[in-house]
Amino acid sequence: MFATKRLQKELIKLNEKLPPGITLVKADDLKEWLMDIQVMDDNPIYKDETYRLKFTFSGNYPIEAPEVVFTPVQTPSRPIPLHPHIYSNGIICLDMLAREGWSPVHNVESVCVSLQSMLTSNTKRERPEGDDKFVKYNTRRPKDINFVFHDNGV
Amino acid sequence: MSTPSPIPPPNDRRSSRASSNAGPPSSNLNVPSEPSDLLVVGGPPSSPSPLALRASNSPSSKRRKSRAAKVPPDVHMLEYVSACDSNLVCLICHSPFDRPVKLPCEHYFCRECVDHAWDAQQEDLRSCPTCRTKVDPQKDLSPVPRIIETMLDELVVKCPNTKTGCDWVDQRVNVHDHVMLYCEYTLVECPSTDCRLPISQKDFHKGCLHSTVSCEHCHASLMKKDLEVGSVMSICPNRSTNCPHCFIELLRLDLKPHVKDVCPMVSIPCSGAIVGCKVTAERIEVEEHEKTCPMATMAPFFREQQARVERSEARLDPLSRKIGILEDGLTNITSMLYPANGNDSSFPVTNPLDPNSSEAFPPASLMPTPDFRLPPASFPPVPQSSDTTQAQPPFDSQVHHLLTLHESLRDEVSRVSNALTELEGRTSMTIMNENQRVKEDMLHTNAAINGMRMQLHWLMSATLQQRSASAAGSSTARAGSSTGPSASGSGTQGASSRASATFRAPIRRLSDSTRQDVKL
Repeated sequence: MFATKRLQKELIKLNEKLPPGITLVKADDLKEWLMDIQVMDDNPIYKDETYRLKFTFSGNYPIEAPEVVFTPVQTPSRPIPLHPHIYSNGIICLDMLAREGWSPVHNVESVCVSLQSMLTSNTKRERPEGDDKFVKYNTRRPKDINFVFHDNGV
Repeated sequence: MSTPSPIPPPNDRRSSRASSNAGPPSSNLNVPSEPSDLLVVGGPPSSPSPLALRASNSPSSKRRKSRAAKVPPDVHMLEYVSACDSNLVCLICHSPFDRPVKLPCEHYFCRECVDHAWDAQQEDLRSCPTCRTKVDPQKDLSPVPRIIETMLDELVVKCPNTKTGCDWVDQRVNVHDHVMLYCEYTLVECPSTDCRLPISQKDFHKGCLHSTVSCEHCHASLMKKDLEVGSVMSICPNRSTNCPHCFIELLRLDLKPHVKDVCPMVSIPCSGAIVGCKVTAERIEVEEHEKTCPMATMAPFFREQQARVERSEARLDPLSRKIGILEDGLTNITSMLYPANGNDSSFPVTNPLDPNSSEAFPPASLMPTPDFRLPPASFPPVPQSSDTTQAQPPFDSQVHHLLTLHESLRDEVSRVSNALTELEGRTSMTIMNENQRVKEDMLHTNAAINGMRMQLHWLMSATLQQRSASAAGSSTARAGSSTGPSASGSGTQGASSRASATFRAPIRRLSDSTRQDVKL
């Protein structure tokens, strides 16, 4: 009930006004939303590309963090951005989305803005270390993965 | 169930109900018939102030068993009439604060929300959700300033029972009292002792309405309490109702078609209205009128025409757009074929590579090498500016330009080849003439030479004859005396040559003459 009410309010807000580069794609229910984000400056790694984010909310949102991953889409082209903290299956290593880093004052919009800035400040065209292995063998849900947040550079 | 005043004080309603019931209120209902009589039960006297009610709230909940079942309104679920100031909104629940608390870092949250958030955190790691300052929930929470609370209290909300029919709207501070005391739509426990289902406060006195009955009109089975509700009564399609115009009784089901097509009393316009008949009257009168109205007679015909005109217009629109596009294309083609429009004399096009040509054609100098410019890309705006995408040229002007260029170049090449052929003809003519002349000259020369040769021949033969004649004479004269070698050089030389000439003369002449002929 808590989550429903809060998500309804967020949805109303998202439909009203969004920061530049962020668009609401689909929010048919209050469980799973799709958002598109773009990097607004001309970082050559992400120029002219749009990325699709999938938010999955638990019944305990916003006390519990939503699950946020990038999802690849063929048409329209929505690749997985190249970033040392984003695995090629779309899982994002960002403390804000993990249990400790999450705060209930965050919301869908603030997560999108954070990801935008995470992308725009990146200069390395690379995947995280051990990406192949992780993508191949990971069966856990993103929120159950214990990422080590060692890199404060990006 | 008519209510006597917009927001009826509870005792008004109760008294009216008590009198209509025409009997003593049943004891388990505990409804006071007259406030003055039953002050003992703690019922408020006539229309008390909300504050007074609020003060007497907790005892009043005890005073009736039935009311104990009432659920106090959840402030988080309230619907606000207008958007709230964003500064009064809790960042966790995104609703206006409910019983807010202040953290030491001066961030405010609803008590409930921040407790929720801390439940998920480890006990010693609790921090402010906004700034992550460490917080001890036992000691660090403090009440928010009074003004914040006042502002929150003054927010205007709708009654939580709005969906079931209550239209109460007031400040948030009053919502608790309204729901708990006044609102007729608040659900309470059913008066029947063995029924635990909720019922609206206003139907409380009717006893248990939670038995399933079927609608006597449409036979849908539903609970009695829903049957009583006015909205259901107006929904049942088989319930009879009266036409609001002719007062004939009919089923609700049939009311709409009746009013639309049948009802004689409903006011309709004459069917000639589309042609201009101004008559509007009840159907029965209009029918009479239509028999004589010429416009009504014409109406079907006009309607047909109208439909046809509309169809044609709809077809015209894309056509005119298409014409526009085609015209543009034509203009473009023309302007590319005749680059300088008012200067047709310059066609066929001047050689764009020849810098002199611009001097040769003064008007062309205004636009040097006109056919190498891009075609004017300015397609004149199509009349239907509403649809700009369709107004785009149907072809790529760049490609078109190249094609035109190619065409003009080909013209140029054929012109040059024509000139070449002509030149060739002229040259060969000149050469032939020259040849002729030279040939004649040669003939003349040959003839002259032949003449000279004849003369020479004649001279030679004459000389030879002369010489042979003289030689014959001298040789006979000198034959015996000239045997010695001591003769003078010239004398011997001349003698020997003469001798040889004498011996070989006939042969040498022949050979000489042939050799001469060859030499010439």
